[in-house]
Amino acid sequence: MEGILSTLARLQFGQALARLASSPSYPEALYVVAIALITWLLGRWFCSFVCPLGALMDLAGRLKGLFSRTKFTHQPQTYKRFLIPTLALLAFWFGATTLFGLLEPYSLLVAKSLLYAGPNLILVGVIILAAFKGRVFCDYLCPTGLSLKILASRSLLRLTIRDSCLSCGACSRVCPTSCVDGRAKALEPGRCVLCLDCLAVCPNGSLTYGFESIKLEPKRRAFLSQAALGLVVASSSLAPASLRAKAYGQPEAVPVLPPGALSLAHLGAHCSLCHSCVRICPNHALVPSSNAHPALWNRPVLDAYVGFCQYDCVLCGQICPTKALIPLTVEEKRVARVGTVFFERPECVIVRNNTSCGACAELCPTGAVSMIMAPSGREEPTIQDNLCIGCGACQQACPVRPISAIRVNGLLIQQTAARPEKIATEDETLTEDFPF
Amino acid sequence: MNRRTFLKTLAGGALGLGLGALAPPTLKAAASPDLVAVKGLDLTTMFDRGLEALGGLGRYIKSGQTVLIKPNMAWAVDPEGAANTNPALIAHMVKNILNLGAKKVYVYDNTCDNWSDAYRMSGLESAATDAGATVAPAYQEGYFQKVTIPGGATLKTTQYHELYLEADVIINVPVLKHHGGAKMTAAMKNLMGAIWDRRPLHREGLDETIPDLLLYKKPNLHVVDAARVMLNGGPRGRGDTRYLSSQMLLVSEDPVAVDAACAKILEASGLKAPDYIRQGESLGLGVADLTKLNVQRLSV
Repeated sequence: MEGILSTLARLQFGQALARLASSPSYPEALYVVAIALITWLLGRWFCSFVCPLGALMDLAGRLKGLFSRTKFTHQPQTYKRFLIPTLALLAFWFGATTLFGLLEPYSLLVAKSLLYAGPNLILVGVIILAAFKGRVFCDYLCPTGLSLKILASRSLLRLTIRDSCLSCGACSRVCPTSCVDGRAKALEPGRCVLCLDCLAVCPNGSLTYGFESIKLEPKRRAFLSQAALGLVVASSSLAPASLRAKAYGQPEAVPVLPPGALSLAHLGAHCSLCHSCVRICPNHALVPSSNAHPALWNRPVLDAYVGFCQYDCVLCGQICPTKALIPLTVEEKRVARVGTVFFERPECVIVRNNTSCGACAELCPTGAVSMIMAPSGREEPTIQDNLCIGCGACQQACPVRPISAIRVNGLLIQQTAARPEKIATEDETLTEDFPF
Repeated sequence: MNRRTFLKTLAGGALGLGLGALAPPTLKAAASPDLVAVKGLDLTTMFDRGLEALGGLGRYIKSGQTVLIKPNMAWAVDPEGAANTNPALIAHMVKNILNLGAKKVYVYDNTCDNWSDAYRMSGLESAATDAGATVAPAYQEGYFQKVTIPGGATLKTTQYHELYLEADVIINVPVLKHHGGAKMTAAMKNLMGAIWDRRPLHREGLDETIPDLLLYKKPNLHVVDAARVMLNGGPRGRGDTRYLSSQMLLVSEDPVAVDAACAKILEASGLKAPDYIRQGESLGLGVADLTKLNVQRLSV
C-alpha cells in the first residue's frame, strides 16, 4: 500500500510541481515538462488515467449509476470555474500552499484529521459530489486541473463532433465534466478529461478522437487571459530556488524539521503538503514554513515560539500519510534529534538582571539544559550538547522576547541524541524522621 | 435586651475571657498547631491524621461552598516520576470535601507540558473526576482574569484562573521537588500554575515575585505531598534523577512555614533553600523560623 502511494505521489503533476518548487531537480523538471507537452498534444488524459482522486470520483459515479443514472447537462464555461484554482496556484507561487495542499488531488486524498479527528470530510464531500454531479471538483477547485485545462484547451488531438451529428444530446447527458454541448455540436477540450463516455453513447459515431484543426479562433481576450494563467503555472514551477532565496533574504538558521523528517531532502521529496501533521500537533508547534527556508515551500517546521515538541508525543509521524515523517516509537522519539540548542548567555535574565530564573532547565526533558552554580553565586543554565533533541521547550519557556536567550537551530540531516544516563536506582532516605 | 440580661452577658463574657487567658499555654497550643508533619506510608491516612491534628477538615469547608484544589499536574509524566501530586491523595481529598457538603470541587493546573497529556499521564484527571471533582481546563488565556495584586512587592498584576477567583475555599496541594529554576517547589511556588503568564515572574526574578502570588487571595490550606522527593533534575525529572523517600505529608495554613519545613527536608539531602521563603516572611505571609511555631510531628 505504501509503495503504491509513493509511486502515485511521484506521478502526480501537482505533487511534482510542489517538489520542483521546493527542491528543483532535472528529472522532476523533465517530468513536469513532459506531462505538459503530452497534455498539449493529447489533452487531459492525466485526469482520467493518472489522478487517483479522478479514478475514485469516476468509481463513485459508476456505483451511484447502478441505482439511478445521473443525467448531466452541458454547462457553459464561466470565469467562476477558474476562480478558486487560480487563487490556489497564485498563493502557491507566493509560498502559501495551504489552499493548494487542500485542493491538490493527491494531497486531498491522503490528508487526515481535517477536523482534528475522524475522516477527511472534504474528501468525503468531494466523493459524494462526484457521485451525484460528476467531476465538478476537477473544474471548479482542482489546481492541477486548471494547469492541465490551460494546456489541453489548445491540444492537437481532441474529441470533436463531426457534421454528421444529429444533435440528439446523448453525449451531453453522460458527460461528467459537462463540457460537451450536443445540441450546438461544440466541445471544450480544456474541460474534457477524455473519459470517452460520450463516444460510447453517440448513435452514429459522430464523435471522434483525433487531429482536428481548430475551427474557431479563440477570442483574443480569452486567449490572452489563458496565456497569462499559463505563464503563472509555468513560472511557479520553474523559478529557481536561488532566486527565491534572494527574494526572502538569506535564512538565518536552518529551520527545525518535525521529528521523523530525517532530512530536508527526505521531507521535500515525500511531503504532499497535506498539513495533516500541522493539524494534529497538540502543542500547535508545527506550522507550514513560510520563508523559513526556500527549500521547504510550506512544508511543516517546528516553531518553538508557538509551542515545543512534546517529549513523548509521536502523533505527527503516525498521521503522516506519505511517510515524509516516518513513524517513531516513543523510545525512538525521545532521542530523535531535530535541532541543537544555542545559549546566548549575555541575553539571559540571570546575567542581565542578577535574578534567578531557570525556566529553560525546568522544561528540558533530557537534561541537555541544567542549572550550575556560577561564580556570581547564582545558578545559570549550562548545556550538555549531546543530550539535546532540539524540542524547543527551552526556547518556548525563556522569558526573553522577542528573541529567546536560548533557542534551537534545526539540522539539515536529523540525528540521534545520547540517552540520558540512568544513575540512581535506590531512593535515598532521611537520617532522622523529621529534619526540622 | 434589658438591664439584667445585659449585665449577665457582660459578666459571662468577662469570665470566659479570664478563663481563656488563664488556660495553660500547652493546652492552647495542642488545640491548634501551626504546622503538622505526618510520617507514614499511606498518604490518605497521613492526610486524615494531619487534618485531625489541625482540628478537622470541617474547619475549612462549610456545606454549600465551592472548593478549589490546586495540585501540581504540570507534567506529562507517570505518577511514579513524582513530578505531579499523588493522584490517590487528591482523590481522597475530593471525596472528603464532598462528604462535608461542598457544592463543587474544582481541580485545574496551567501545565508546563502539553495540557491534555499532563492531565492524563499524571493520573490526576481520572482520579479527581472519579472521586467527583470537576477537572477544569486552563490552557487558554480566556480562562484567566487580570487582577491587581495589592501590595505586590515586584509583581503588580497577574491573571488568575476564574475558578481561583470564584472559589470559596482554596486548598493548595503541591508535591515537594527540587526545581532547576527556583531551587525548590512546594507551597508558594505551586501557585505559578494558578496564574496564566509565568514569564514576568522569570523575567523579574522568581525569589522576588513568587510570594506576591499569595497576596491577592491566600489559599486557606496547604497540603504538601513529600512522600517521594525529587532531588535533582526537577521539576520534570530526567533519566539521572535521584529521589528521597521521605514519606512525609505536611499540612499548614502558613505557606512560609510549610515551605521552610520543606526546605529543611531538601537541606538534609544537601540541597539549598530558596530565597523566596525569606521574601514571603518579609511580606507578612507567615513565619519561616520553625522554632517560633508550634510544629506537631506525627507518625502513622
